[in-house]
Amino acid sequence: MKNRDITLHINGEEYRLNVAVNRTLLDVLRDELGMTETKYGCGTGECGACTVLVEDKAINSCLTLAATMDGKRITTAAGRADFGRLDHIQQAFVDEAAIQCGYCTPGMVMKTASLLAKNPDPSEAEIRHALEGNICRCTGYEKIVKAVKKAAQTMPGRAAVAERCKEAVQ
Amino acid sequence: MSSRILPDFDLLLPQSVAEAVELLSTHRDRITVMAGGTDVMVAMKFAQSPAQLMSLENVPGLAYVLFDPEKGLRIGAKATVADLLAQAEVKRHYRALWHAAQTFATGQVRNTATVLGNLLRASPAGDCSCAIYAIGGVVVLQGSSGRREVGIDDFWLSYGVTARRPDELAVELILPPPAAGSRSAFKRMTRVSEDLAKLNVAVRLEMSGNTCIDARLAMGCVAPTPLRLTRTEALLKGRELTAEVLQRVAASVPGEISPIDDKRSTAEYRKQVSGVLLRRAIQEACGAA
Repeated sequence: MKNRDITLHINGEEYRLNVAVNRTLLDVLRDELGMTETKYGCGTGECGACTVLVEDKAINSCLTLAATMDGKRITTAAGRADFGRLDHIQQAFVDEAAIQCGYCTPGMVMKTASLLAKNPDPSEAEIRHALEGNICRCTGYEKIVKAVKKAAQTMPGRAAVAERCKEAVQ
Repeated sequence: MSSRILPDFDLLLPQSVAEAVELLSTHRDRITVMAGGTDVMVAMKFAQSPAQLMSLENVPGLAYVLFDPEKGLRIGAKATVADLLAQAEVKRHYRALWHAAQTFATGQVRNTATVLGNLLRASPAGDCSCAIYAIGGVVVLQGSSGRREVGIDDFWLSYGVTARRPDELAVELILPPPAAGSRSAFKRMTRVSEDLAKLNVAVRLEMSGNTCIDARLAMGCVAPTPLRLTRTEALLKGRELTAEVLQRVAASVPGEISPIDDKRSTAEYRKQVSGVLLRRAIQEACGAA
């Protein structure tokens, strides 16, 4: 097949699309749906600017064929804000001034979201390990690491999430 | 070539292993198989233009990592590196593989890339490949005339080439069950952590006290395929692991490898550090480092 009918559930909305099979998920998000918050960086899965969550897992949308994503739940950085109100991760990046040019920020935010969902209280080493796939050419990473720490501290329902993760480990 | 534009191809989406095998035997060499796609997608952006791309996305039942203390570890063709890390038994019993998986690429790639895909890429730099070579195991290939098993020692034929025939689908990898006294370790050298390795090494030792009964030593980035250091293994077998023995083992490694100069390192540097890295991996496996 050269084209495929697919349904994507993006940020809680359903999209029925006919996509060319050689289009990446990033191509479809940006060029066909106009969701330009997800960025094109290297195109080869090294920089992390295109990071989105598919079924709550952080992946590189530049290395993902849209045609193989039928029925999947996808979250982009815009999906974290509620009618323009930033969520705790986005707000932490602003508060800690962890943004200079901002191009890597949506990917950093999505990677942080996937880290905190699994590990609500990460150590600095765990934060740095998690962010290895996200390159920033401006900040030198210190402020980004601070922002992730702050996001962990300000996560809504933090105590309940920590309890659930502890139970899962046991 | 561009990192943005994918070539034109025909997408095949089989719904079962049987259908995938049938497609492979019909289309033969014109098909490229994709599981996670982290290697195939990059290859398509820069070099390869397959006529047909077969995605395993809709093939059910291949995303398992199953441990049995008697039979070993079974890893399905769609199990990702992250799936492997989620299994406590991998960390406990297959230490070299767990460590290779943990340092493999980036979180995003670990969530997508498959363990079998790393073997099938047949790159000398594959981290999981190196660890699996040291641990040992068999790759199960499903063809139109049935299943066959190929030992990991016979799996890589040359750079980018495996024993998989064009009409076969690699369905699973089986690692041997853990034995008492068996221990393993993995080490790699890179410039920054998400780079491909400039050198990687994995060891599996069968120990009785401080005496090495048997050893499997694997090294990557030093030959066209991952390499087993069989001459160096012979220096370990039946020996107590004294400082002198480890010194002789380290000294034997440069004579057994044939690294090249490339953008990640030089042949000279790789030869210089290869013995040291192997010795450290042996010490780590034995809990001394």
